[in-house]
Amino acid sequence: MTPLLGVENLRVAYADGSGERRAVNGVAFTVDPGEIVALVGESGSGKTAIALAIMGILSNNARVGPGSAIRFEGRDLLTLPERNLRDLRGRRISMVFQEPAAALNPVMRVGDQVAEVAIVHGERDKRRARDQAIAMLDRVGLPDAAARYKSYPHELSGGMRQRVMLAIALLLKPSLVIADEPTSALDVTVQAQVLALLLELQRESQTAVLLITHDLGVVAETCSRALVMRNGELVEQASVDALFHAPQHEYTRELLAAMPRLAPAGRPA
Amino acid sequence: MSDRPLVSVRGLRVVHRSAGLFARTETTAVDDIGFDIARGDTLALVGESGCGKTTAARAILRLIDTDAGTVAYDGTDLLALRGEALRRHRRHMQIVFQDPFTSLNPRHTVGAIIAEGLIVHGLARGAEAQARVSRLLDEVGLSASDASRYPHELSGGQRQRVAIARALAVDPEFLVLDEAVSALDATTQAQVLALITQLRQARALTCLFIAHNLAVVQSIATSVAVMYQGRIVERAPVKAIFAAPAHPYTRAMLDAVPVSDPRDRRTRTPLAGDPGTAGDAGGTTPGCAFFPRCPHPAKDAACTTARPALQEVAPGHLAACIKPHANLEIM
Repeated sequence: MTPLLGVENLRVAYADGSGERRAVNGVAFTVDPGEIVALVGESGSGKTAIALAIMGILSNNARVGPGSAIRFEGRDLLTLPERNLRDLRGRRISMVFQEPAAALNPVMRVGDQVAEVAIVHGERDKRRARDQAIAMLDRVGLPDAAARYKSYPHELSGGMRQRVMLAIALLLKPSLVIADEPTSALDVTVQAQVLALLLELQRESQTAVLLITHDLGVVAETCSRALVMRNGELVEQASVDALFHAPQHEYTRELLAAMPRLAPAGRPA
Repeated sequence: MSDRPLVSVRGLRVVHRSAGLFARTETTAVDDIGFDIARGDTLALVGESGCGKTTAARAILRLIDTDAGTVAYDGTDLLALRGEALRRHRRHMQIVFQDPFTSLNPRHTVGAIIAEGLIVHGLARGAEAQARVSRLLDEVGLSASDASRYPHELSGGQRQRVAIARALAVDPEFLVLDEAVSALDATTQAQVLALITQLRQARALTCLFIAHNLAVVQSIATSVAVMYQGRIVERAPVKAIFAAPAHPYTRAMLDAVPVSDPRDRRTRTPLAGDPGTAGDAGGTTPGCAFFPRCPHPAKDAACTTARPALQEVAPGHLAACIKPHANLEIM
């Protein structure tokens, strides 16, 4: 199978005062169509920089090193003109951020933010875009979607806002969704809902997901393969089963040991 | 008198009032909660955002005002204390906040931050204060030379160690840890938890440990109180909470903790709805605040007519549910 995404020798550095700070240092991995891959690491490990590089939305002080390549559906995203990138974003690749409160436009109705994706990608009929948005909001579990279409982000709970983000990201059934800590800001019962929803939507649209997380529990719960990052380098990649049962790298073992887990008595059968 | 609890809370109520443009709104953030913490024990107060756990902790420490209830500290009613008497008591009670990035003064050195309590309470000055700061830094796993550094030069875990050292400087008996490890990375979180466990034993501390994650409290708590929308819905020794959760909300929270092994993956029906905020239902509806999310409500209307009171389901194990064993039947 040709990989959907192939990241090759990716290097990202940020200008930092007088010098440069390396955030990603020669990372290579692939994601197959329909696969759920975890990108695991602690803060500062470079996992978000990888996501931003794939999306082509690195900040101005970031520089991608020569020799880096990000192949997606046969094209190198790093050499693609911005116009083509814009066409891909939202349609073929989309992103879900950790803080839906920050990622959503606070002064735009949530339904319009979903419909906007369809309009930007060529839907001329506003009514059709609106109907599509309502159907999607309903699909992601927003109660009374037609009425909630008119809500502003601040009128929704954190969990509902993240459902709206998923509606935006998955509206056009992209082949890749990058989810950056999508449930880290949520309460535990809401996290379970949003993860379950993400998996349902993923199955329905056969979208591949690159799930960025610091939480190995989320990895154990949802992913088939995992990439472990530390200090800008990929220290281990393995199937999730192998990662949990035969971790190779010392750092992976450290992460597993530090994972808060319920003792057997703590999980009612 | 030695079996008297160090901290004894009864009927505690905190109402947040905000004056809006058109109306004054009142939300009951903490609604009639009570518990005891015996000397040397750690009570974990667990719940989702907005459940009132942080407000409760702040009210107990008199950092915010209360609307009803009593907080007895070693037999003294804290809520009745004023001025100098309150200040003297404060020395015995300290708090570590969640966010080590905002809870340390950025313009003060680590040494000044830790020494402040010593000086304010007249416990040490000058060289003696410095020596104590060095010992405290050593105790929390930092080095004496860190005293001259500023918070921005430290990592999140190091800052949280400074916050712990600051709290311990005045030799408190009672320590409140408000989501003290929640903002830290997993490996750092494990280290700081280990430090807290060790300090608690070495200093015979009594702790109130506030958390949203049940998996974190299992290793550290002696007992657990679960809050939902301003009320305690279940309270039990730590083993009982995990082995036989009696309230459907506790059970749902346990069920929502991600598995720690991919081989244990299972299909589950996550609890629907949002935790909401204390006061959403508090006082406005007569029934159980958890009823709208409850997967197994009673068949008659009993859940919607009266607020269930905490009742004993096993010795020392209380749950506020009219059919507290319902969840056990489906296990």
